[in-house]
Amino acid sequence: MAKDIKKALRDFWYGKPHTAEEGGRRLGELYEDKTGLLKHREWRGVKDTFYYMYMIWGYNYVHMVTDILKFSNNPIDFVKGTWRYRWMGQTYLPVMHWFERGLQGMRGEALAASAWHYRAMVSASIHQICNFFNADTRLHGGKQNDAYKHTIYANETTCGTLFYPFMDDGYQYLPIEMIPYFVTCHVNSHTVLNYIDAVQSIGLPGDPCPMCQAESGIFVLDDVPDYAPAVITCNEACDASVSTSTLQDWFADKPLFALPIPMQFDDPLVKKYCMNEIEEMWKFIEEQTGAKFSWESMVKRLERQNKLQRDEWEKWEVAAKTNYYPINGVAQALFRIFSTQYGIQTSCWEEASEKVKKIMYKCVEKKINPFPQTRHRVIAWSCAPLYFSNWCTWAYNCWGLNTIINMDSLMFDMEIRTDSYENMLEDVVQYHMWAPMRRMAVGGMHHIFELWDYMERFNCDMVAMYDQLQCKGMQGVHGLFEDEFRKRNIKAFWMPHALPDCRTVSRAEIRRQINDYMTTVMHEEPLDPSLLDFDDSMTW
Amino acid sequence: MCKKLGKFLLKFLAIFVAANAVLFVVFFFDLDGKLLFNVVEPFLKDHYDKMERKDTLKSPYDIDKFPKYKYD
Repeated sequence: MAKDIKKALRDFWYGKPHTAEEGGRRLGELYEDKTGLLKHREWRGVKDTFYYMYMIWGYNYVHMVTDILKFSNNPIDFVKGTWRYRWMGQTYLPVMHWFERGLQGMRGEALAASAWHYRAMVSASIHQICNFFNADTRLHGGKQNDAYKHTIYANETTCGTLFYPFMDDGYQYLPIEMIPYFVTCHVNSHTVLNYIDAVQSIGLPGDPCPMCQAESGIFVLDDVPDYAPAVITCNEACDASVSTSTLQDWFADKPLFALPIPMQFDDPLVKKYCMNEIEEMWKFIEEQTGAKFSWESMVKRLERQNKLQRDEWEKWEVAAKTNYYPINGVAQALFRIFSTQYGIQTSCWEEASEKVKKIMYKCVEKKINPFPQTRHRVIAWSCAPLYFSNWCTWAYNCWGLNTIINMDSLMFDMEIRTDSYENMLEDVVQYHMWAPMRRMAVGGMHHIFELWDYMERFNCDMVAMYDQLQCKGMQGVHGLFEDEFRKRNIKAFWMPHALPDCRTVSRAEIRRQINDYMTTVMHEEPLDPSLLDFDDSMTW
Repeated sequence: MCKKLGKFLLKFLAIFVAANAVLFVVFFFDLDGKLLFNVVEPFLKDHYDKMERKDTLKSPYDIDKFPKYKYD
């Protein structure tokens, strides 16, 4: 009896222990059937429960409102935009549930540090959303206002870095798909299905990449803000996206500059050609908007971007060589891809990075292991399922698989020189060519197999190999990876998925594949058996 | 004066505790999530489904409308 009371008090104060042997917290039992809603949130102990409630849940709700007030020219436009656009209203309200899925089971420093990455992403998303609505002619009676004239409309994989020269003059870059498509899939995977179905309803077969389908579908459903005088498209690193650009050209009906991301980017001649194209794009922007290229504007932001890159290297150093890195797999991956792609347009990335570094060095100094149940250090490779990017959180809670690093984080692994225009241009081009889904995924055999080097650098002993079923490029190298895994005796599991479309491979199926690997190949027992199998088919 | 101040502080404390208790119930039982999932999202979905939209396929695709923007 006394022992029971002691245990109950300990569970109340510290939260229940992770593993089944120790009495277990059984996180899977917190879910309502199918919806993935929580019967109740996990009791993480007094300190972490109230930290979560005030410093994450409450803090972010409050700051979502203050961000809107800060970035919006008129908050009424935000309400009008929410009413007008499905990707806005249907997606961004459940944002705190997105936090919940990514942070489940986290405690102490891991909870705090990972949440700062999420906070930065929310702030950057609101920054973009407000800028859409500030400039959108649809919300202003067709009027092309000042914000409209100072906005550059570009494809989401055309990195923000390319637009720094015009920002001192008050111009901003707004990627068209990042908010209506990319971020929605993470926050609420229901929304994107409307866009995929829309483009298939006009005759597109179902087998091309669902990302390209969804990005076209937004235009088919007339769900795109009209927020800038000219368009810059790119091939988004894959040839299916060229068709998306064609549809965008049709439906946007604006002057358009196509800036392809070259496939064979190691070739010096290709690099020279690409440098020329970027300079042409700058001329196009000057011609279409009246903006002037400013070297000072470029350098100022590149210096900040370089600092952010150095911060990231510091974090990677700790992640690679110690057990004190406090960021979980999903918070690490999304922060990195979002910040490198959107670029230095708000200070949220730098602020979050400083806070995270402070937590990280506390872990180093006090030798705190934020993921004490780690059994395997995992590197995740190729493109992740957007609707289940929080699989890393689940995999750690269920199996002790700690995702240390992933391919998306490693793409823009460079500083850009600012000592001369020529050096800057050469580096900016390299940065541009190392785009998402291009550098390693379809950028040639040498780059896709950089996996082995990174695995060693980050001291990983297992590979989570994403298997995007509708990516023709990556399907082409599936067998080569299988051969290499066997030859090198590397522990690896495959994760089939269809990028944004949760109907093709469900989250439950992905979990089943990992469970099968861990039981039949690794012969391991789950840390939390309640997470092995549950139905969250209707969840956000 | 002291009594008045004491009463005010007591009232303030009671409201503060009650507000935090309500907040905790909403947080702990995921009531915000349940409201959004069961009420707000279906309402908004219904609204977006019924919204009148332009038939974008009827807009002409004039590929020669704008120049080619070459700057060699």
